[in-house]
Amino acid sequence: MRSKSRFIGAVEIGTSKVAVLIGEMVRDGSVNLIGFGECQAHGVIKGLVTDFKSASDATHSALLIAEQNAGVKIDEVYLAQSGGHLEGFYNQASASVNAADNTVSQLDIDTVCRLAKAKALPEGRTVVHHIRRPFYVDGKMVGANPEHLHGQRLEVGYWTVHGSESVIANSIHVIRGFNVLVGDMILSSLAAGTMMTTPQDRQHGALVIDIGAGTTDFVLYRDGGPFMTGSVPVGGSHLTNDLTLGLRVTEGQAEKLKIRHGRAITMSRDKSEKVWLNGDFAIGDRQFPRRAIELITEARVQEIFEVVKKKLGAELAPELCAAGVFLTGGTAKLPAIADAATKVFGIPAVLGEMPPGMDDKLNRPQHATVLGLLHFGLQNRAGTGSGRQRSRGLLQKLFTSS
Amino acid sequence: MSAPPDDQPKTRNWRDIPQEIAPRRMSSVGRRRLTLGAVRTLASIVAIGAITWGGYGIWRTFKNDPQRLAAVSDSRPVEEIELKTDGVLDQEWLAQTLDMVPTAGLMELDLYAMRSRLTASGQVRRAVLVREFPATLKVILEERSPVVRLKARLGGPDARTFMVAQDGTVFDGTGYETSLVRSMPWLGGVRLLREGDGFQPLEGMDRLTNLLSTARNGVPRRYATWRVVSLARMSSDGQILVQTTDVPEIIFGVREDFYSQIARMDLILAETKRRSAAPVRSIDLSVGAAQVPVALNQPTTNTPDISFSR
Repeated sequence: MRSKSRFIGAVEIGTSKVAVLIGEMVRDGSVNLIGFGECQAHGVIKGLVTDFKSASDATHSALLIAEQNAGVKIDEVYLAQSGGHLEGFYNQASASVNAADNTVSQLDIDTVCRLAKAKALPEGRTVVHHIRRPFYVDGKMVGANPEHLHGQRLEVGYWTVHGSESVIANSIHVIRGFNVLVGDMILSSLAAGTMMTTPQDRQHGALVIDIGAGTTDFVLYRDGGPFMTGSVPVGGSHLTNDLTLGLRVTEGQAEKLKIRHGRAITMSRDKSEKVWLNGDFAIGDRQFPRRAIELITEARVQEIFEVVKKKLGAELAPELCAAGVFLTGGTAKLPAIADAATKVFGIPAVLGEMPPGMDDKLNRPQHATVLGLLHFGLQNRAGTGSGRQRSRGLLQKLFTSS
Repeated sequence: MSAPPDDQPKTRNWRDIPQEIAPRRMSSVGRRRLTLGAVRTLASIVAIGAITWGGYGIWRTFKNDPQRLAAVSDSRPVEEIELKTDGVLDQEWLAQTLDMVPTAGLMELDLYAMRSRLTASGQVRRAVLVREFPATLKVILEERSPVVRLKARLGGPDARTFMVAQDGTVFDGTGYETSLVRSMPWLGGVRLLREGDGFQPLEGMDRLTNLLSTARNGVPRRYATWRVVSLARMSSDGQILVQTTDVPEIIFGVREDFYSQIARMDLILAETKRRSAAPVRSIDLSVGAAQVPVALNQPTTNTPDISFSR
């Protein structure tokens, strides 16, 4: 049975950690999670590879751990893409229905889709995702497939996510350094969003915010699909940095204070209330005002949400986001962060939850992206058929991994 | 309608980014995987080449000289039959039983049928036949050992002698030395029932074998005088009757240990010989160790003359 399986590695090269999850894709299309590897990241700042060797070493260590854990070799990798270099725009196209009886044909659909995607990008930019929005026939929304419907005009729009070619090439080459092909590239926000929301949530409208260490990615769902995505180069490490500057402590001490005493909404009223740095009464242990820590973390969290809100602009309307805001990522563990999000967006916010039955080791917000990578990637593959990948399967197996 | 699709600018996709990188940019793990991949590729090419070359060779032979292929598949005629046995059967018996066509090829032999012929005799418990190329048939036999012999008249006027093995199998018995056959007691009190070409296995032979082996090992001189053993009362009374050259009837019970019964028999025979000149007519060892009825050949009485008690 094993020989008929494919082993997919979902890789997230984050600012603070590299996570790898191996899924065994069997012939019936289902996936078994068989291995997990995690390693502290190096050479990555705000989601961008800045030191190729350090980033490669960290990524390859995580890949090796995952392979040893699973006892198999990875055939191909689904890579998460995040960072401030990613941008998106919306492009809409329309086409007259060709047939004399005004029946929409597959040719009309292909034509309008091609037109909507064919927008030139600036030099050095490359497309990561074309996210299709619902079709419209004579101005009426018809959903995912308008074939055989009657109308004179067919319209569709694409949310196109593009990024810096050099940045994307760097992350691809980090994986290729392990001699594995990158089979698919998926936005971190889309991956996390797939895990955090149900199809019903996406139909009602939902905003998923993945607050990582270096970046905050978000995806707005509407009408059952992704409507808009974005990435803000600010994350949990900025909270740490603010504490470092504000309290004049080292980065490690600030991280410790953030985890132990940070809050997204200030709770402490007593200005004189102090907390210990370590609490072990050792030499060098110091006290800090709790309120100061909470104020610093609150300010930065609020700022992150404000930036996300600003990026979403008028698209974020409470009536079109009925399912609410879902928070995930490592920084989502900060106490009262859901309340802070509710306050900023004016929409009920909750901490995202994994689907039931997930392994305890993986059932954490910081692993939502790698889990979503496998889920979203395989869903996409099933949808598109991925003929290109299949046709070169044998050669790929022969020439790439051992 | 908007402009035709061919006029639209082509957007660059991340899949257009070449994934190939120089091996020196790979990590040591990546280079190792690349090397292993290359070795595997090479091995695959060699394997595919070998299979192709072999297939081409067969095809060419088939095209030019089909007889050669036929010759290979028919193999050579059997030149030697090698026999390995733990018993007494010999090459002559084997050749006679197998009854092979002299020109039969090694691959033509129906080993299952040959094995059936070998085991049909009853003397062979297990037979293994192995083709040893180029032209040898190896036969490994496991034989049954006879413990008693019996004489039966099967329709004809003359009685035939058969051997009986420990598991009750009745067989002709081939190749045994005359002295060995003569040393075996006759078996009586049994009915032979037909089964196929042979007979049904006899009941109670395991206990009889136990008695005989105990006697042969414990009192070999007395055992040498045993002429007939009978299972006539085995199923009804649980007794084995033994007739020796000296005593017409010694009765052994199957419910008690044979070793102690034989010890008592030896003692009684020695005692009677020492105490009385009259020959013993009967010893009944089946009634238990407490009392052994012994009848002597005295014309005046039918009751036991002597009773050996503890």
